[in-house]
Amino acid sequence: MRWNRLKADLAIIGAEIRKTAKIWFAYKILMFFWAIFPLIWVIPYLFQGKALVGGMSSAPFAQLTGTENYMAFVLIGAMVSTYIFSGLWGVGNSLREETYWGTLEYIIASPTSLLVVLIGKTLAEFLYATVMVIFQATLATFFFGIDITFGKIFPLMMIIVLLVIGFYGFAIAFAGFTLLIKEVHGWVHTLEWVFFLFSPIRYPVEVNAITKLVSAFVPLTYALVAIRAIILLNKSVINLWQILLILGVMDIILIAGGYILFNRLEYRTKKAGTMSQY
Amino acid sequence: MNIVLDNVVKKFKRGKGLRKHYITACDHVSFTIEQGELFGLLGPNGAGKTTLVRCIATLLIPDEGKITIFGKDIIYQSMEARQQIGLLTSGERTLYWKLTGKDNLKFFAALYGLAGKERDKRIDYLMELLDLKDVESERVEKYSSGMKQKISLARALLHDPKILLLDEPTLGLDPQFSRFIRGFIKDELVGKGGKTVLLTTHYMDEADELCERIAFINKGKIVNIKSPAEYKDEIPHTEVLELRCQGNVNEEKLRTALSSIKSVEKVSLINKENDLALKVIASRVESILSDVIELVRGEAKILAIDVKEPTLEDVFIYLTGTSLKEDTREEQPDALE
Amino acid sequence: MYKKINHYLRAIWAENIKEWKIELTYKADFVRGMIDPLVYVLPYLLYGIALVGGRTSESLEKLTGTGDLITFVTLGYIFIGFLNMALWAMGFSLRKEQYWGTLESVFAAPVPRWVYALGMAAHSTMHQGLMISLQLIVISIVFKLSVNMGGIVPSLGVVGVMLIALYGLGMMIASLTLIFKQGWLISEALSSLIMIITPIAYPLAVLPVFMQKAAMALPTTYGILTVRHFLIGEKMGFSVGTSFLRLAILCVLWVVFGLIVFAFIDKRTRRSGTLAHY
Repeated sequence: MRWNRLKADLAIIGAEIRKTAKIWFAYKILMFFWAIFPLIWVIPYLFQGKALVGGMSSAPFAQLTGTENYMAFVLIGAMVSTYIFSGLWGVGNSLREETYWGTLEYIIASPTSLLVVLIGKTLAEFLYATVMVIFQATLATFFFGIDITFGKIFPLMMIIVLLVIGFYGFAIAFAGFTLLIKEVHGWVHTLEWVFFLFSPIRYPVEVNAITKLVSAFVPLTYALVAIRAIILLNKSVINLWQILLILGVMDIILIAGGYILFNRLEYRTKKAGTMSQY
Repeated sequence: MNIVLDNVVKKFKRGKGLRKHYITACDHVSFTIEQGELFGLLGPNGAGKTTLVRCIATLLIPDEGKITIFGKDIIYQSMEARQQIGLLTSGERTLYWKLTGKDNLKFFAALYGLAGKERDKRIDYLMELLDLKDVESERVEKYSSGMKQKISLARALLHDPKILLLDEPTLGLDPQFSRFIRGFIKDELVGKGGKTVLLTTHYMDEADELCERIAFINKGKIVNIKSPAEYKDEIPHTEVLELRCQGNVNEEKLRTALSSIKSVEKVSLINKENDLALKVIASRVESILSDVIELVRGEAKILAIDVKEPTLEDVFIYLTGTSLKEDTREEQPDALE
Repeated sequence: MYKKINHYLRAIWAENIKEWKIELTYKADFVRGMIDPLVYVLPYLLYGIALVGGRTSESLEKLTGTGDLITFVTLGYIFIGFLNMALWAMGFSLRKEQYWGTLESVFAAPVPRWVYALGMAAHSTMHQGLMISLQLIVISIVFKLSVNMGGIVPSLGVVGVMLIALYGLGMMIASLTLIFKQGWLISEALSSLIMIITPIAYPLAVLPVFMQKAAMALPTTYGILTVRHFLIGEKMGFSVGTSFLRLAILCVLWVVFGLIVFAFIDKRTRRSGTLAHY
């Protein structure tokens, strides 16, 4: 019985991934967008660095981050954040899209949990973002000379998986939230900037006491520190065990919290009868 | 002459690359509408009615031909032409849902050059006339379809235009609102107001009840222009045979078989999920009755048989071979990706 | 004649009022929209501080004659608000009407299209102006910005001329969104590229030569340089007179170009019958 249930859920997740993949291919231009633009967005930061320090390395920057190479710092931030931002747009929008297409009620009426569908969506998002990031990393290697040796790929993937597990817990709660609010785009934009401000995507948060304090509660902060340590400071993953532990604990909290919150929000929407409103 | 259409042609591009082709929405359409006339365009969905209205309203540019409003060319003197026209399009989403009914009217009043006391008086008058006073300060999103249509109608009347273009004004409304709108068009607009009205519809009752002259339009072509009474004289017969049946039939085969019965002149068949509505126009219904029943019974289950006096719709079928209830639309236009 | 001018002015004002009323029904979005630009600028500032270990950069001083990076970047950054006005607020006004279903009713009214365009320009300018003022006031207080007070009036003059040129851009985008379903990509791509070559957080000198040349065709370049010249004495590389002259020429070019694209697409949609299609 249990086994059958699991098999059915896995089938749904598989179907969801296939469906999402088909929709991407219908919007090829979006794939192009996520493959290129996160790198284009950080170019102003490179020029700003050049103007402010007059070269490609900064000693004050090294005091905060351990590396003088601010270019590598922001490029890595851009790549890793693709997981977060394409995930926010994808997962945050997915239920809204289903409402817009008029398909959400059919999903809910089918004998499956909305949560399983969402897990399918997040897995699809993860695969999608990975393809985009591989593309970006290739570009970064060619154009900016970022060096990622083969041996670093496994530890990097490990950290990214730890990052996205927790993040998708958060994203699922956010998806539940989108059932209640109707103007999702504005919220996604704001969340984007919360991440930009309170995690070291584009600048070392240690530079300011407030941003340092708040970012300590954001898993992305730990993931970025660990990833940069591996790529730029050639640290081994074993040296970073404390960071991995923190990420793991945060994952558990976020997944549990996301699950509970999503169920609550879904229940509320069903009670209020606002599911199919667009 | 208020509105003159002279050989108007409008084609739309469909498909891309090798599948690119043109469909003709208006095919050399010519007619004139006189002052104070209630003129109807009657035809099935996709006949080209809305395209014609949009051309007259300056929203579309015809490919050939000329349209004038009080002698003003709609392309070269579009501002002057627009000032004379009040437009009511079908569809629910033509108002700002987040604004109140009154705010919608205020906004459009400014576009039509109304301001100050004159504007407020006009809006008050229209709200009163259309019985919208109670809801004028509520947001349009809270209105029923009928109320939205009333506000749209008030918008069309804001600048007291001499000409009204009403595109399917009762589409999707419940019978009570439809009756109100029809009465309003006939009594207020044309009766008291002396307006010139062009009304499009695919409801034959509406055209029959309201219009002084009706243009039958089918596949972009004007088939004929006459008064309702004159149209009914078109059919030399006094009876039409109607059947309702159920069953999975080969439409073409049945139609051909029925048409081959002696003295049958026109056959219309509408199939909605195996629910068939059949109309047979023949010189003497009585003499073909048994043949028709025999034929249909072999194909489907007969639910009802009726012999009726011909309506405008039957005249339409008689003249065009198409029923008003058919959907003759072709594909939607593509937008660029 | 007088009557006609009066009619058009009222139409422009009504367009502006209507937009305010609709926007204010989405209260949460409105408030968030006001706060967003405040948050947006912070990563740029903090990144700058991290790079030089304070708010004064010797390198920047050498390049521009002014070393206070906070004032420098903030003054540059407000121009992103003006750019957003053209690319997003004005650029998406027609698409919005199309989505609401009101575009045909507006276009059937006896006012020329340019009157409508001016209405959207008036509204977006006021809305963005409000956001930018708020942003400037808060940042000035928090970071204690100091500028040359005598430069404020001429700065407003520069911004005024620049805005006219941006209206041309806004009109062009607004009409393009009527024929391209993925119109937001045009805006996103344009804004990403303009943000690189416009000297927001750095002087033109750090850009490769081809980018410097491209920047000369952008009204925002002259806007930023001249405003910073008036307020904090940035060295521009050309005189104030030249700047105004070039800006005036760009104004004419962009507005004429915008009007041509607008008229062309208006005609095209009226021929193809796609005006009402969302």
